[in-house]
Amino acid sequence: MLGKKVKNGAIEDALNRFLKEKDKNKLVIGFEDKENGVFLRAFGDHVENFSLFNPFFGINNALHFRRLFSKGTKIILLLRPCEIRAYVELIKLSQIEREDIIAVSIDCPGTISSKSINNNIPLEAKKLKEYLEGNDMLRWACKTCREKRGVVGDAGIRIDQDGFAWAVPYNNKGDDFLSLIDGELEEINVGMLISESKRIDKFQSEMDKFYEDFSKCIMCKNCRDMCPVCYCIDCVFNGDEYLPKGDALLNKILRSGTVQLPQGKELFHFIRMYHVSQTCVGCGACEEACPQGIPLTRYFKGISERLQDMFSYMSGRDFEESIPYLTFIEDELKDAAD
Amino acid sequence: MSTDKVEKNPEIIGFACLYCTFKASEMAGSLRLKYPEGIRLIQVPCSSRVDPAFVLKAIFEGADGVFVAGCHPGDCHFIKGNYFTRRKIAALKEMLDTFNMKEKIRLFWVSAAEARRFVDKVTTMYNEIKERKNVREKG
Repeated sequence: MLGKKVKNGAIEDALNRFLKEKDKNKLVIGFEDKENGVFLRAFGDHVENFSLFNPFFGINNALHFRRLFSKGTKIILLLRPCEIRAYVELIKLSQIEREDIIAVSIDCPGTISSKSINNNIPLEAKKLKEYLEGNDMLRWACKTCREKRGVVGDAGIRIDQDGFAWAVPYNNKGDDFLSLIDGELEEINVGMLISESKRIDKFQSEMDKFYEDFSKCIMCKNCRDMCPVCYCIDCVFNGDEYLPKGDALLNKILRSGTVQLPQGKELFHFIRMYHVSQTCVGCGACEEACPQGIPLTRYFKGISERLQDMFSYMSGRDFEESIPYLTFIEDELKDAAD
Repeated sequence: MSTDKVEKNPEIIGFACLYCTFKASEMAGSLRLKYPEGIRLIQVPCSSRVDPAFVLKAIFEGADGVFVAGCHPGDCHFIKGNYFTRRKIAALKEMLDTFNMKEKIRLFWVSAAEARRFVDKVTTMYNEIKERKNVREKG
């Protein structure tokens, strides 16, 4: 693996150098270290207080870039691997034009819920990792993360055992990003701080368990709205077809008898589970958004991993791999038909 | 309820491709072949028109079983529609398998000439589901 060793503050300098050349509209989108936490910020003309890591997970930031057709604005995105993976999936679904965007994924030591923001968390890779693992504060989605390494997108920033950052290009655009950074490309011989994730066990559940977990659901549909890959403008759950209200609901009850209200919980979650099954990145944004604390990640991530494994697919791994439902091989799934 | 001798008849929703399975069902009619009453066919222009959301909606609104039927792979009127169906329904089966509901969904390949095969397939499915349903009711 070839990469450039990044000195302290070199990334901030590189981004400032990028923004200084005013030949085009330019933006850098990354994390900013503020007094009361770390937040996402779009830097227009000057990068300050830049932070590589954001240990607080509120939403998956790829959500902001849905239907982003940059119109000639050059953008550098510096986000977590799960966010870059969602970004890659959105490109495949033609929700983003990737032409002028350089997506850089950064090794992620894990995150905690943004509900428990505090100032005690150090923002250096090694200390952060030790802190999170030592205090056992990681979100479930992060504990079972499938790709914590910055190996997705156009370029990655990897952290080695000693806590030094390395910038690694993965394609031509990654080379452009690296040309901003001082130093020479060299072979990386040191081990990395964050290693490949272990796979979790195959997910198996029961309807009874499902009803128990989802009995608290209030059908606010926040999980859908905050899901980065649930991208349809005309969702099937808008309107009366799937989730009738008012008169339509009355008609349905008169037709079918007793109904629990709010009705359609299992329908909503099952259909959404299926619709995002191949694109789900398992970031846990749905669970963060849920006001009732339903363990949504367990279901959505479990199902999506099972279904992606069927087609040896992994969401967001590669720009070129197409989404399994949008392609086929003639000679496969011989036992699918009964 | 074990004394109750009235057997419950299942209701099965079938999504049938206009160019093959639906034609086969019409042919079964003209050949005077009988298949159970509980089977309701919904005509779709191609089996790949069936969004698994339709199947899930049918299941959660009370259907005891759902089948999706289309032309044999390679014989699709729209050239490659049923290859997509195969992937989608296989994935849906895997998903329902997670919740131990795999028996509720079937995928059939039936061409327009195979009226007998159609009747065989749907009757077998009907009987299996009926058996399971009645065992569960008694239990």
